[in-house]
Amino acid sequence: MTVKPLLAYLHRVLVADDEAPRALPRAEPPSSAVFLILRRMRTPLVVLIAIYAVSVLGLTLVPGRDGDGNPWSMGFFHAFYFMSYTATTIGFGEIPYAFTDAQRLWVTFSIYLTVIGWAYAIGTLLALAQDRAFRHTLAMQRFARRVRRLREPFVLVAGYGQTGRMLGRSLDALGRRFVVVDIDATRIDDLELDAFRADVPGLVADARNPEHLVLAGLGHKRLEGVIALTNDDEANLAVAMAAAMLRPDVPVLARTVSRPIAERMRAFGSPSIVNPFDRFGDLLRVALRAPAAFRLVEWLTGEPGTELPPRREPPRGRWVICGYGRFGREVVADLLAEGLDVTIIEPGLAAADDPSIIVGFGTEPDVLARARLEDAAGFVAATDNDTTNLSVIAAARRANPDIFVIARHNDAANARLFAASGADYVLVPTELAAHEVLARITDSLAARFIETIPRHGDARAAALVARLAERCGPRVPLLWRVRITPDDAPALSAWLARERRPVTLGELLRDPAAPDEPIRAVALAVVRDGRTHRAPTDDFVLAERDELLLAGRRSARHALATTLNVAEARDHLLLGAHSPVGWLWRRLAGRGGEERGRATAGSAPAGDR
Amino acid sequence: MDVDVPQGAVVVSVGVLPRMARAARDGGEGKAMSLEKVVFGFFILLAATLNFGFFIGDIADPTHHNVYELFAAVVVNLVATVLKFGDRTQIGAVHLATSLVADLQLIAAAVVWAYAVSSAPAGLDAHAMASIVSLSGGALFANVVSVVLLVIETVSFQRR
Repeated sequence: MTVKPLLAYLHRVLVADDEAPRALPRAEPPSSAVFLILRRMRTPLVVLIAIYAVSVLGLTLVPGRDGDGNPWSMGFFHAFYFMSYTATTIGFGEIPYAFTDAQRLWVTFSIYLTVIGWAYAIGTLLALAQDRAFRHTLAMQRFARRVRRLREPFVLVAGYGQTGRMLGRSLDALGRRFVVVDIDATRIDDLELDAFRADVPGLVADARNPEHLVLAGLGHKRLEGVIALTNDDEANLAVAMAAAMLRPDVPVLARTVSRPIAERMRAFGSPSIVNPFDRFGDLLRVALRAPAAFRLVEWLTGEPGTELPPRREPPRGRWVICGYGRFGREVVADLLAEGLDVTIIEPGLAAADDPSIIVGFGTEPDVLARARLEDAAGFVAATDNDTTNLSVIAAARRANPDIFVIARHNDAANARLFAASGADYVLVPTELAAHEVLARITDSLAARFIETIPRHGDARAAALVARLAERCGPRVPLLWRVRITPDDAPALSAWLARERRPVTLGELLRDPAAPDEPIRAVALAVVRDGRTHRAPTDDFVLAERDELLLAGRRSARHALATTLNVAEARDHLLLGAHSPVGWLWRRLAGRGGEERGRATAGSAPAGDR
Repeated sequence: MDVDVPQGAVVVSVGVLPRMARAARDGGEGKAMSLEKVVFGFFILLAATLNFGFFIGDIADPTHHNVYELFAAVVVNLVATVLKFGDRTQIGAVHLATSLVADLQLIAAAVVWAYAVSSAPAGLDAHAMASIVSLSGGALFANVVSVVLLVIETVSFQRR
């Protein structure tokens, strides 16, 4: 083979850069339904052909008579015609001449033969339609086709339990596409029942099998993330592993409550690991140290559109923990790290060798007496059994009505009971995982912002909470990001490029339809040249290539998008509600900027700095 | 060819024997005569031979071409086609294609025959017979390709 250096060079320059460094895994087409039908229908079809052949041949050989009584035998054409309408039970009668007895004898035989042939063929076809394997093949094919036709970025969600479902709803509310793989058929059926805006392809399959993941779009160009949320830590590990090895360029998020599994996940690339128990312990520490920061985190990671109830702040003092499993251990470690006293109640054998642990059930009076609930500040019901948790909460409340109660809620079905239990904080591990995942995949800027909230002081967090509540109402806001670039914000970018007039944040966050009204959104951060300005005030002057992180209502997002993209809306907003003549007049009078500045300052509260 | 090696036996020898032994042990199709392969080959060959039998003779002379032979060729070709259903390999696809071509040509020949016998004003004359036989000639070509494929498949299997 000759080597052509120029061609090789051109190929490297022109082609190699556009292509991914390694080939994307291609989805093997599942065994086609057509082939399955053909294979199963082989015998019935051969039988049918044979029956027709015998019947037709016999009819041409059996002696008959024509209209004048002369000996005559039927040609193939007439024989085939006669057999066709007889076998399909249409029955046009004896043509072209009335049959002789010999012919009738043969036709009687043929009729029964063909009926058997057809019954066999149709029966096989119907049995195939009922066949589980066949239907599974059809479902796989349909799923693969739907995934292949996705033209928008999407995430692959493995596991559609409580967490997956919450995440799915939020993703859909954010207008993001996703594909679901779950081993449980009823959960995939639920996909059809959930009223999603966009079509969500779902596959009933074991996510541990990489082939299924590839079928679900692991090799798809538009894949932008893989999320492993199954109940099984091993399965999540398998998904994280497959994703890291087959698509190293795509971020992976995996849930696990086990630290060894998390370590094993880290061995493959750098997946984001969501451990709801660990996360809750961290949140509890934040809540103890900086209640407002905790509130803000809760707000920004909540499911958009839901309302958060008012909360008591967790007290400092001695805490009693009932249940010392994986969750209990995380909480205890975090409480001890906060310098708080902890009393542990654990009925299991695991606790027997540790003298500081009270062995027994939290519902027994003497166990509760030994835990001295009367002078405890907080109580955590941390077992993995909802009935136990509810009964120990009731017992703890009886012993000390003022105690701050945190309940671990395991099964979604018991939501009403926990709401009625009067616990100050109900932790749903699945929900926490969903919030965490959502915050991380929505935007890495948002995730970074939320992660660093506790470090920036409680006062600033409190101010931001107040501002969010004032601007956006009591419901959890939507988080989104805007880049002031010619691609993402053509109208504003053009305005800034021409340097007509500096634009402040307060001016931008107004409704183009009613320029004096601020939109229901708050800028959480502005990133400029790699530096993050947290909670910018309304007089923050925007520049090109700024990146904004905003929280607010969906309507605000639309209004802002209009301002950023439509030049007319931008002019209407920034130049005032009056016609250009009025603006010209005001420009000549030299009052435009002043007036606008005053209007903004009056309508929006000052941000915390 | 029939080397009987028990499951898990270790074969230590050089040359062609181990390969044959492996093929036999793996339970491959080369192990023994498979009824399925016999039926498959039988129908493909029979389709070609019947077709040839009908085709041979003076092209325009109805006495050289038997209608029962055409009927048998059509039926056997249809059966051969159905037997090729459901094979997803490349060679299987080409097999199916050749059979479909042969069916199409033979059925066209049968239709021309039926038309000539029952409705054409001139009846089954030399012109109609020439059309029928030339159509069956096309089918014969497709059937020959089919047989060649069968041979290739067999040979390449042995070499693997």
